[in-house]
Amino acid sequence: MRDRRELAEPGRRRFLTRLGMAGGAGGAAVLGRGVVAGGAETAGPDHDGGTPVHGAMDHGGLGTVGTVDHARNGFDPSAILTDFDGGAVSRDAAGRTVREYEIVAFPRRIEVAPGVFFEAWTYNGRVPGPTIRATEGDRVRITFRNGSPHPHTMHFHGIHPAEMDGVPGAGEAQPGETFVYDFVAEPFGTHLYHCHSSPLKSHIHRGLYGAFVVDPPGGRPPAHEMVMVLNGFDTDFDGSNEVYAANTVAFAYVDRPIRLRAGELQRLHLVNVTEFDPVNSLHLHANFFQLYRTGTALTPSELTDTVTMGQAERHMLEFTYRAPGRFMFHAHQTEFVELGWMSFFEVT
Amino acid sequence: MSVTSRTGAETGPDRPAPARRRAVPLWAIVAGPLVAAAVLLLILVRADPLSRLQRAAPLDAVAVERTVLDPGVIRLQVRNDGTADVTLAQVTVDDAFWQHTAEPRTLGRLDTGTVIIPYPWEEGLPLRIALLTATGVLVEHEIEAATLTPDLGTSALGDYALAGVAIGVVPVALGLLWLPALRRARRGWLRFFLAFTLGLLAFLLAETTREGLEQAGEAPARLLGVELFAGGLLVVVAAIAWLSHALSARAGEAGPGALGLAYLIALGIGLHNLGEGLAVASAVATGEVALGTALLVGFAAHNTTEGLAIASPLGTTASPVARHLVALALVAGGPAVLGAWVGAFAVTPAGAALAFGVAAGAIASVLWAVGRALGADGGLDGPVAGGFAVGVAVMYATGLLAA
Repeated sequence: MRDRRELAEPGRRRFLTRLGMAGGAGGAAVLGRGVVAGGAETAGPDHDGGTPVHGAMDHGGLGTVGTVDHARNGFDPSAILTDFDGGAVSRDAAGRTVREYEIVAFPRRIEVAPGVFFEAWTYNGRVPGPTIRATEGDRVRITFRNGSPHPHTMHFHGIHPAEMDGVPGAGEAQPGETFVYDFVAEPFGTHLYHCHSSPLKSHIHRGLYGAFVVDPPGGRPPAHEMVMVLNGFDTDFDGSNEVYAANTVAFAYVDRPIRLRAGELQRLHLVNVTEFDPVNSLHLHANFFQLYRTGTALTPSELTDTVTMGQAERHMLEFTYRAPGRFMFHAHQTEFVELGWMSFFEVT
Repeated sequence: MSVTSRTGAETGPDRPAPARRRAVPLWAIVAGPLVAAAVLLLILVRADPLSRLQRAAPLDAVAVERTVLDPGVIRLQVRNDGTADVTLAQVTVDDAFWQHTAEPRTLGRLDTGTVIIPYPWEEGLPLRIALLTATGVLVEHEIEAATLTPDLGTSALGDYALAGVAIGVVPVALGLLWLPALRRARRGWLRFFLAFTLGLLAFLLAETTREGLEQAGEAPARLLGVELFAGGLLVVVAAIAWLSHALSARAGEAGPGALGLAYLIALGIGLHNLGEGLAVASAVATGEVALGTALLVGFAAHNTTEGLAIASPLGTTASPVARHLVALALVAGGPAVLGAWVGAFAVTPAGAALAFGVAAGAIASVLWAVGRALGADGGLDGPVAGGFAVGVAVMYATGLLAA
């Protein structure tokens, strides 16, 4: 109960100390001995000058210290969440809808947790890359330019000709080169794309991936739609992740909970691209969701509150919150939770 | 002009050349190379000539020098062990990002900082703490078994002092009780026991060197732990050489005499026992109580033989030495108390490496003095060879108790 009261208080410190997940009172009492009095510098030069978090010590507990500079990153997890890109739409001679995209691959240093920087490889400067959205049967035309020192591809999960597969030997763009991917979007569902150049593990974990959402020809019922790409970052390049997140930035939706409306249908496109760990998962608190496996059917396959996915597995989830409140959701690998993959819905 | 005048001065009747050479004091001859070596080290470290061969940015390196566990709080003393500034961005405890303060958050080269993490740690369980730097380097620090860091209270000081007395003063005093027996021994046996002392010291030198190099390995690389060890050793060898030279020059003797030799042995062993007190106490203070207890028992057994070693040169004199026995026990055993205090409250690996270097230097000097005394008194005969071998073997056997 105490936890909830703390959560409801606006203006208090922003991270997981709100959760009361650690015995905060103990830490506060001990530090009351005055050892950290005043002078402790908590926001270093790389800590986004923003919020000083001296108050963090008052509660102790789980979470990062400082805030991520989304503007410097050039992308914001809160915006990525609902940013579906339909491309530049036209019709070809046969009357088919054509969606054209321009995507550039280039390296970029991104902040994945406050003060922690990762030399990422990006599609259009963001991780995950743009969420490409089309309707089944649309023609998708992507002009892919490689602006990085390594060869890259865009390999789509979908049905397409072999020469459009985006693998070494079929649709790989060398540094400075351009390749045009041209295919018909099918089947409908929640899919993904990623770089397939070698070494594959490296090209994926560096950040070259994104969601690819294909709608059924008849559409779906109206809903508030979101996309989350579950990822991890091996910041010291030792073959295991130091930071986990939904849409790249650790604890981003704890810092700024996702605002939803009670009674409104929510549709979440959930994609797992986590490298190095065999599975990732999502658990929704105080609610259940309809699970559309790979999003390839119009009727749900299961009602559950937890789904576990291997890499490149992805699903479509539908749920509705009956009443306002703050609802947690996170991986149910607790290690991932405590290393950043923890989030909140703020239902009003 | 100047050449001519200097030549004139050297050949002048009032300033003979040999007298001029003797006027340069011994300490300057000994210290000169040391100072030069220190300057060379400084230049090498500052200029870092090999850095030009490295093209990528150097990796962040941070060493955790000291851990203090208070109820609900973990405190780390960290040092930038890399060549560039390092910024501590986040802290994880047992793979969970955790709230903390870091002061300062950005550390210059060799700078130290303090990281304070309020964390509900549990007594006796391991803790894995990691510092995530701005460039994503993960600096891991493992505490094998979490336990409260002792306060500087009098009761803890007393407990650690007791441990120091138990491994130092008491065993050495017990060993000294062999003196009456030594006095009745024939000359061959006395030479045997002095050679036994020589073997014991050789063993202690090896042991101290190993400990010192181990500590040097744990010290931040940029603090040059091995050089600290070697520097401590060389400076002490030089200092003792100067001291014994000055003393024997005053006494008009060739060597330090039986009592002097006993004190010299006691000093070397005492500095070694400082290291032993340090080892026991730091094991206990870092939660390895079982290791601390094993070391306590082992060192106590080990050090009884040290009493015998100190008594050996006194076997040849008939003069009363009762009051000296107490002083010898304190010189040889007392430093263990000091070592226990330092080990429990303040030691860093770099400091320990230096302390072990000092101890090794003292032991090496004593080894030399005892060897010279034996050499002047008949050289390497059967009893000496046998005594040396038995000394090494007994130390090895009792050392197993502490291994």
